Amino acid sequence: MKTNDEIDILISKLLSGNLSSSDKIKLDEWLNISSENRKYFNQMQNLWHLSHPAFNPKSIDVEKATEKVTGKINEQNRVKLPLLVWWQKIAAILIIPLIAFTGYLLNRETELAANEVYQEVFSPFGVRSKINLPDGSMVWLNSGSHLKYPVVFKNGSRNVVLTGEAYFEVQSDKKNPFIVDTEKMSVKATGTAFNVEAYATDTIVAVTLVHGKVDVNIDGRKNINLMPNQRISFNNESSRYELTDTDPYKWCAWKDGILAFRDDRLDYVFKKIGLMYNVDIAVTNKEIASQLYRATFQGESLEEILRLLKLSAPIRYVHTPRVRSANGDFSKEKIEVFKN
Amino acid sequence: MNNEHDLLSALKSGNKEAFTLLFRKYYKDLVLFGGNILHDQVRCEDIVQNIFLKLWADRENIIIEKSLKSFLLRSVQNSCLDELRHKQVIRDHEQFTQTFDYFDSLDTENYILYSDLEDKLDAAMNKLPDTYREAFRMNRFDGLKYKEIAEQLKVSERTVEVRVSKALGMLRVYLKDFFIAVIAWLVS
Repeated sequence: MKTNDEIDILISKLLSGNLSSSDKIKLDEWLNISSENRKYFNQMQNLWHLSHPAFNPKSIDVEKATEKVTGKINEQNRVKLPLLVWWQKIAAILIIPLIAFTGYLLNRETELAANEVYQEVFSPFGVRSKINLPDGSMVWLNSGSHLKYPVVFKNGSRNVVLTGEAYFEVQSDKKNPFIVDTEKMSVKATGTAFNVEAYATDTIVAVTLVHGKVDVNIDGRKNINLMPNQRISFNNESSRYELTDTDPYKWCAWKDGILAFRDDRLDYVFKKIGLMYNVDIAVTNKEIASQLYRATFQGESLEEILRLLKLSAPIRYVHTPRVRSANGDFSKEKIEVFKN
Repeated sequence: MNNEHDLLSALKSGNKEAFTLLFRKYYKDLVLFGGNILHDQVRCEDIVQNIFLKLWADRENIIIEKSLKSFLLRSVQNSCLDELRHKQVIRDHEQFTQTFDYFDSLDTENYILYSDLEDKLDAAMNKLPDTYREAFRMNRFDGLKYKEIAEQLKVSERTVEVRVSKALGMLRVYLKDFFIAVIAWLVS
């Protein structure tokens, strides 16, 4: 039989978050002995809560909360239109694509006249798309990216316009070069596989060549012949470009749903994860942000990835759930990464 | 109309005044209770407000088996735990998960609320020996681990364990009569 002092120590260790697993076994044993013991424990826990309020009780504004809640109740009574609002939303959902489609048809007619019909594909955040182009080339469009291409490639050119990131496997055709235009760069290829990163919000745009040969034109000025396993990156802010030898796998793995990191900075790792899972992940601590990581993820859930990263880094997460704005939209989930 | 049973009946028949009285009575205590699980005052306040809004919306169908207090405490407990699970914060706060294991067995029926005891609590805290109170407060206000408290006070971890547990035990003794009185009053 354990003395009360010992039990008090176990209980206060538990409540203060200092209990070891062997302590836990002892405590559980004691709790299972009698309902009297459990009652005693409950009182101690109750007392601990009351003597350890998590917030300053004075900071809880009961009047303000009462006003808020009663206000909502009165509002509910007045506006009994949820059904109507619901139908309005559905109507809006149906009408918007209808307008877009009509626009597309009208456009199509005028464009057919000019003999230039474009198809545009947008991959929403958190979604990847694969597109088969009319010449048999294939494009994997990464999350949050946009590709515009003609429905029919006319002789002499195969031009597409990209914002965001895409991986191209271009059908060989020496006579008709395949051209990817982005805001800052254009890539000219005949038959080859390469990855283009040109997100409008990024300062760095880049092309990585897997095999074949491409010509990269930067900003209408510089022309570079890229060799396989090379990557050219251009910094919009400093206007400097950098040509490096690289393992193309890590730059292209995203197309198969794989996140591959090879000694990459943690802020970059989180940026890529955020892009794939449609969350905003911010790393505030500079020291943590610049730590290098090597990891490969495939098919893991976001939670699992975050957990795995946490195992190997002194970090913790603070989640901000999606908030509904006044117009009914939901914001992105936000995760902040802090040093632990 | 201050008897809780009457207030509940009034609430069920759509009396807003009864609702407001109940809200004012329990709001602060429930937010503080939620704070034991979810250390986020804004979220805890939201949770408690939503529980009351739900209580109002469901007032005609709601069945309260035990007391309203027990019903509200359980609701807050469930919502806060659910939110924590949802946020996956549990993994980040290993020390809290342990205490959560014991939350299920919490006796909400006999649970003493902050406002029941707040007047007595400070007086009882002041009766504690200084060294006990110091260790107790360092853990409470600064969230320090026993190990950290031991380092700061230059005593052994065991000493901290003893001081914190003694402080809690003494508080219980000081407040024991009051505990019993509150419970007796609740039961009657």
